[in-house]
Amino acid sequence: MSALLEVRKLSYIYHSPDAETQAISEVSFGIEREEFVAIVGPSGCGKTTILSLIAGILEPSSGEILLDGKPVKEAAGLTAFMPQRDQLFEWRNILRNVLLGPEIRRQKTPENVKFARSLLKKYGLSDFEKKRPSELSGGMRQRAALIRTLVTSPELLLLDEPFSALDFQTRLTVCDDVYRIIREEKKTVVFVTHDIAEAISMADRVIVLTERPARIKNIYTIDLDKSLSPLRRRELGFADYFKRIWSDLEVKNVGRT
Amino acid sequence: MSEEHKKYLKKLKRKRIIVRALQIFALILFFGLWELFARLEVIDPFLTSSPSRVVKSIANLYESGILFKHLGATLLETVISFLLSTVIGTAIAIILWWNETARRVAEPYIVVLNALPKIALGPLIIIWAGAGKTAIIVMALLISVIITIISMLAGFMSVDKGKLQLLKSMRATKFQTLYKLVLPANIPTLISVLKINVGLSWVGTIMGEYLVSREGIGYLLVYGSQIFRLDLVMASTIMLCVLATAMYLAVAVAEKIIKKYF
Repeated sequence: MSALLEVRKLSYIYHSPDAETQAISEVSFGIEREEFVAIVGPSGCGKTTILSLIAGILEPSSGEILLDGKPVKEAAGLTAFMPQRDQLFEWRNILRNVLLGPEIRRQKTPENVKFARSLLKKYGLSDFEKKRPSELSGGMRQRAALIRTLVTSPELLLLDEPFSALDFQTRLTVCDDVYRIIREEKKTVVFVTHDIAEAISMADRVIVLTERPARIKNIYTIDLDKSLSPLRRRELGFADYFKRIWSDLEVKNVGRT
Repeated sequence: MSEEHKKYLKKLKRKRIIVRALQIFALILFFGLWELFARLEVIDPFLTSSPSRVVKSIANLYESGILFKHLGATLLETVISFLLSTVIGTAIAIILWWNETARRVAEPYIVVLNALPKIALGPLIIIWAGAGKTAIIVMALLISVIITIISMLAGFMSVDKGKLQLLKSMRATKFQTLYKLVLPANIPTLISVLKINVGLSWVGTIMGEYLVSREGIGYLLVYGSQIFRLDLVMASTIMLCVLATAMYLAVAVAEKIIKKYF
C-alpha cells in the first residue's frame, strides 16, 4: 500500500508588499497509515505553514502534496485540522461545536449526529453535550476539539501545537489523553510542536526542520514502546533522542549569533 | 456556609443598599432644592422653572390631549432611525467584509463621512426629503449609520484567525464563514453598537426636530424657548430623559436575552 501522505519537493513563498519570504524549501517526506509524526523546528521556521499546506488552507508555491495518491484539493474529507488553542465556538454548545464539520459539509445526518454523540460518550463528555465551552476545563475543551476533528472520520489528523495554550501539568495529562484517543481510533497524525520532549514522547518519527527557509534537517525514528503512554515514555530511554534533536536545533542558534 | 462568608455577603448587601439609598437621596435632594430655591426666589423660577411647574406643564399637555402625540412622534422617529441605522450599517459592513476591493475603495469616504458633522447636511436633507418626518429620520440615520459601519466592520475583521483557518480547513464557503462564524462571533459588537446607537438616534431625532418639525419633543423644546416658557422646556427635557432611559433599558433587556443564546 502506498503512503497515506506524500509530500514532494514542497516549497512555499510568503508574499508581502515589502518582500517575498521563502518559508519552505523543497521539503519531501512520506507518512504511512497509523503513523504518528511530529514536526519540530526553531520558532518561525514554517512548521505551521507545512501543516496549513497539507490542510489545504494554503496552496503550495511549488511541489505537491498527495493524500492517498490524490492532490489535497480532491481529498478534503481525508484530513481534519486542529488549530492552535481549541477554537471552540462559545456560542455553540459542545455537541454543536463537535458537529461543525458535518454542518459545513452539509452532512449533518442523524447517523453523523449519533456518531458524534457516541464519540462524546466514549470519551466522557456526554454530560457536557449541552454545556458551553467556557464551562469546561482546559483538558476537556481540548478533548472536545479533538472529537470535533474525529467526527468527520478523517484518516489524517493535523494538529498545530495542540497543547501550547495549556499549563504544564494539564499539558502532560491532555497529551496522554489525546495520544490514547488517537491510538484507539487508529488515526494517522502529523503534529507540529516546538516542544522536543512532547514530540519524542508522542511520535513514532520526528522530523526536524532547519531555520527558515525550512528544509529537513533530520528524521528520527523513535524506538519506544507504542503501547506506553507519553508520560511513561518520557521516563524511558528518552534522553538520548532529546540530546540529538536538541543539538540539531542548537547548532543553528550558535550559527546565528 | 462559613461565618466569614456570611459576614462578607452581608457586607456586600449593605454596601449595595447604601449606594442605592444615596442615589435616591441625591435625586430627591436635587428636586427638593430646586423646588425650595424656586419658591424662596433664590433662583428666578421664570428662568429655571421648578419641579411643581414642570409637573403642571406636563399635566397641561396631557389635558389638552397633545402629550402623547408629541412623545409618540419623537419615539417613533427615534426607533425607526435606530433600527434602520443598525440594519443598513450592518448590511454595508457585511458587503465591505465580503469584498476587499470595495472595502479599500470605501475606506477614505467612510473616514470623511465620519469626520463630517452630519448636522451640516441638514439644509440639504430638508430640500431632498422635504420638511417632515422623513428628513428627521434621515438626519438621525446619517448620524448613527457611519459609526455602525465602522464598528461592525472592525468587529468582522478581527475574528480570530485560528477560527477562520479551522473553517477553511473544513472547506467552508465564504457564506458559511459569514453566518457560522463572523456574524455570531460579533453579537457582542452588535450589542455595543446598539447601545451607542440608542444615544445617537436621540441626538439625531432631536436635532432633526429642531430643524423641521411641527411636533415631537424637539419641537416642544424649540417652541418653549421661543415663547420663553421655560416650564415647557424643562418638562420636555425631563420627558426626554425618561424616554431615552427607557429605550436604553429595552436594549439592556434585549442584550440579556441575546446573551443567553450567544
